[in-house]
Amino acid sequence: METTMNPSPQTLPFKFHGKSGEYFRIWIVNVVLSILTLGIYSAWAKVRNKRYFYSNTELDGSTFEYLANPIAILKGRLLALGVFAVYSVTVWFIPLSEPVFVLAFIAGLPWLIVRAMTFNARNSAFRNIRFDFNSNYLEAAKVFIGIPLLVMLTFGLAYPYFAYRYRDFLINNSGFGTTGFDFDAQAKHFYLIYLKAFGALLLLGLLVAVTLPALIPEVQSAGQFPNQEMPVQGPQLFLMMLPLLVVFPVYMLIGTYIHTATLNTAFNHAYTTGQRFSSKLKVGKMFWIYLSNFVAVLLSLGLLIPWAKIRIARYRLENLALHTEDDLDGVIAGEQQRVKATGEELAEVLDIDLGF
Amino acid sequence: MGQTSAPEEGTDVSARYYDGRTSGATAVRLSFGCRGLVTLTGAAQSANYKLEDLDISTRIGNTPRLIGFPDGGKCEVNDNDTIDRLLKNQATNRGGWLHTLESHYLFVTVAILVTLATSTMTFKYGLPWLAERSAHALPQSVDRSLGKGTLDILDRSLFSPTTLDLAIQARLGRRFAEMITTLPAGRDYRLLFRAGNSIGANAFALPSGTIVMTDELVAASENDDELVAILAHEIGHLEHRHSIRMAMQSSAAALIIAAVSGDVVSSSSLLVALPTVLIHSSYSQEFESEADDYAWHYLVDNDIPTGSFASILSRIAEDKRDSVVSQYLSSHPGTRVRIQRFIE
Repeated sequence: METTMNPSPQTLPFKFHGKSGEYFRIWIVNVVLSILTLGIYSAWAKVRNKRYFYSNTELDGSTFEYLANPIAILKGRLLALGVFAVYSVTVWFIPLSEPVFVLAFIAGLPWLIVRAMTFNARNSAFRNIRFDFNSNYLEAAKVFIGIPLLVMLTFGLAYPYFAYRYRDFLINNSGFGTTGFDFDAQAKHFYLIYLKAFGALLLLGLLVAVTLPALIPEVQSAGQFPNQEMPVQGPQLFLMMLPLLVVFPVYMLIGTYIHTATLNTAFNHAYTTGQRFSSKLKVGKMFWIYLSNFVAVLLSLGLLIPWAKIRIARYRLENLALHTEDDLDGVIAGEQQRVKATGEELAEVLDIDLGF
Repeated sequence: MGQTSAPEEGTDVSARYYDGRTSGATAVRLSFGCRGLVTLTGAAQSANYKLEDLDISTRIGNTPRLIGFPDGGKCEVNDNDTIDRLLKNQATNRGGWLHTLESHYLFVTVAILVTLATSTMTFKYGLPWLAERSAHALPQSVDRSLGKGTLDILDRSLFSPTTLDLAIQARLGRRFAEMITTLPAGRDYRLLFRAGNSIGANAFALPSGTIVMTDELVAASENDDELVAILAHEIGHLEHRHSIRMAMQSSAAALIIAAVSGDVVSSSSLLVALPTVLIHSSYSQEFESEADDYAWHYLVDNDIPTGSFASILSRIAEDKRDSVVSQYLSSHPGTRVRIQRFIE
């Protein structure tokens, strides 16, 4: 193994070494042990899963490390389950208490997000130096309560601004050792993404609206009522499925465009002193991967999930690089603190997506 | 314990050393000597450790191992097999069994079969059983809250007021009143008529106990027994509390699917939605069979020819054959199969 020691400007590509066959075996063992232990093992499964992806990701000859303690995750999960049980039982007996829970949930959300991000960052390491995340309740509340209110008041017009502030919050508060990351994108970059997506949606929608009625002679509507008898024949079935076959790919294409453009923008504007990321994901390629993943996972009854995950991870990482003016040796470790897993696990149960 | 048989003497691996203070990487060699002595040698450093003091990460696939030293430094080693050989006799080698399981094709095959079998059993029997149990534990009032406002929406969007002769309405109302006298109290059974318009000949039951029959269905019938058979089927849905059971088992199924599918596609909601629709439709077929059972027993117990159900069902099926409908998957088992039962 060679060590890079030359302090000159260079581009360091990320590499991903995960293999779908190998990961499939890890994944299925995780699944079966989680089933056999009635879910308790899922905390260990999560760590093993993340470790596989982290340690298969290589930058400048070194791999990443995921260090979370499964017991901490299990405790977090049990607590989350407890909170959910209290909520369900209370709302069941006192239906009027539901708004109280909703308000408490909204008020607790910023705390949850900060905790989850911190837990995840501090349990991730590269070259024996941990990542870090530093934020506080107030800052998170501005982004996750204040701006969503603005989005509602503007009937969604402020959504790209939220998308911008969200990535700004994630990246600006992240760090590696004592080095902090910075984010130099602007709201306009995100407005451009959504403007393009909206334009494409209008265009495609128009196309569908023009061509579709010509194909369906008679559009009937009927709800799904219990006592309906409907023999369905081949050509009819095709006609009925047509909206689904057209609407779904359009929806997915626009979704993939927003997703891809957001990822590229987030990475291309993230930097530290002397270092900058670059992400060159292509919408067409991403769309193909997602579409084929979707079909494969569906037809394989979920057994191709590992293959799908490896494919997308490989494509994303192989298009990510770090431009550095110096070598990567200059980062100094920060003071290590342990963070309970509560935040992240609550966030997971409550379905908060914390990715980029 | 620590005093196990010594690993092979003189095993050497190359490694990358990270001191834990800065992000620098140095090329080093790790030598595993006798009696668990580990020597780290680099260009500018040399240190001795005991094998039992090292924190060696468990193996995952063929990813590099990280070896933690008591002083906070770490080594990254690519040579998994050598590390495994060294750890073979070491008591500290916990977690290695996972890699053993993952490498055994027989175990992996068993794991696939167990997973497929448990998930099938869960969806087919587990969730329906749980939903049925839970439904029994819940008061009838919960059912009512489910269908609240449904009729209002349907009246505004689909139906128009019935144009049925008042005498016919009264006659069918009497038959219906007769039917519900034997039912347990607790539900507010009502029969309403509506002009079905685009949904045509149809009848359905709302969780509140209201059964709606369309004028078109009444027109399609040849005698009142046929309509009584349909009503018995709808009462079967209510008596078996299909609405609340469906709500419970379908949402549980959706939750499970969402939990395992993860972030495979960007819009994972669709990946969850499609299988959920399929499972929903299979549950709904089971419920139709249950409601048919109920109707069959009712007809037999009350000396009404079971052929009444068969005849009206086949007549409706005949009419609907030519129409394009937005229901992709029929919620009913094959009509022919259903009719067959009532003819025998």
